[in-house]
Amino acid sequence: MANIATQRIKREFKEVVKSEEVARCAIRIDLVNDSWSELRGEIAGPPDTPYEGGVFALEIVVPETYPFNPPKVRFLTKIWHPNISSVTGAICLDILKDQWAAAMTLRTVLLSLQALLAAAEPDDPQDAVVARQYKEYHNIFKTTAQHWTAVYAGGPNRIAEYENRVTRLIDMGVDELTARAVLSANNWDLERATETIFS
Amino acid sequence: MASSSTSTEEATASTSTSQPENKEETKEKKEDEDDDSDKSGDEKMFECNICLDTAKDAVVSYCGHLFCWPCLYQWLETRPNRQSCPVCKAAISRDKCIPLYGRGGSGKDPRSKVPPRPPPTRTEQTDNGRFSWGSNEGNGGFHMSFGIGAFPFGFFASAFNFGGPGTTPAGANFMTPQQIEEQEFLSKVFIWVALIFIVWLMLA
Repeated sequence: MANIATQRIKREFKEVVKSEEVARCAIRIDLVNDSWSELRGEIAGPPDTPYEGGVFALEIVVPETYPFNPPKVRFLTKIWHPNISSVTGAICLDILKDQWAAAMTLRTVLLSLQALLAAAEPDDPQDAVVARQYKEYHNIFKTTAQHWTAVYAGGPNRIAEYENRVTRLIDMGVDELTARAVLSANNWDLERATETIFS
Repeated sequence: MASSSTSTEEATASTSTSQPENKEETKEKKEDEDDDSDKSGDEKMFECNICLDTAKDAVVSYCGHLFCWPCLYQWLETRPNRQSCPVCKAAISRDKCIPLYGRGGSGKDPRSKVPPRPPPTRTEQTDNGRFSWGSNEGNGGFHMSFGIGAFPFGFFASAFNFGGPGTTPAGANFMTPQQIEEQEFLSKVFIWVALIFIVWLMLA
């Protein structure tokens, strides 16, 4: 990797390790390999959101042209959010695309992602299904996001009723991941979910 | 009362004298803890906002943000169409920043030296075979009026231009000197034919 990128990542790594957010356990960065080109990030779900109590892992790939081009960031932990793909974890955030600026750092990126969890932009969605639910059935969206946080990110509010429906689908021979995803996409309507899967 | 007040004064005096020492101590401690122990807080003020190292060949933008010139140059080159300050996204360009000269510096404008760029691969367009009356220096007005005045010729000339290899630089690159000479000769012949044509038009 180009020297400037490595140098900067090393500095930023120190910056994150020393930052007060780490002290509050809000963000964290770990190394994946020795080349400093791939990192593992972690952000805590912001308080007063459906993501509260969860810890979300992120894959950070630093391009050779960093910091002139943004790092490639993706959610590794599955998450139910209009601007994050519920399948791939791809993120729709302007600063990770054309609004990137060279003075931004890994710390500011992680904090921006945390802010994105607190303030979704359903009109500029990455996951159209989630975005529609966010706009049309906001309460279902909130409980679904809570449920996903509990299942995949260690959050506190696992919703028993949703879990029952997932179990019903699993009993029909559907794998758990698909069952949960399809139920979530169908506003937890068991009949419609079954139709989607088996039609 | 009085005695107590003097004692507190003394106390404050003693603390005030001891405070700077304490401060220095804590500062030293901080520096020791710091991995970049060679850097004091003051020096960190002068870190480039892009490479996060002490700014070399420093320039400061009109919006007040400090960069190494090579870093800022690369940033501006990365997105030449949308040049904005990496910190505050204000408009920024080569001319919208000020070089900083410290006492120990060379005093040269850092902007005069830029990181080595790939050498230009541009080849000069061979303009010999061009048969255009409106010159490149902006004589468009003349060209227009002339073109209308001598319509058949204008049509003739433009047709020749489109067909000629002189319009496509790529084609021009592949011409042998002999071909170029031929082209030159042809164009001269055409110019004379055109001139005779015009004179004939005027006299007729």
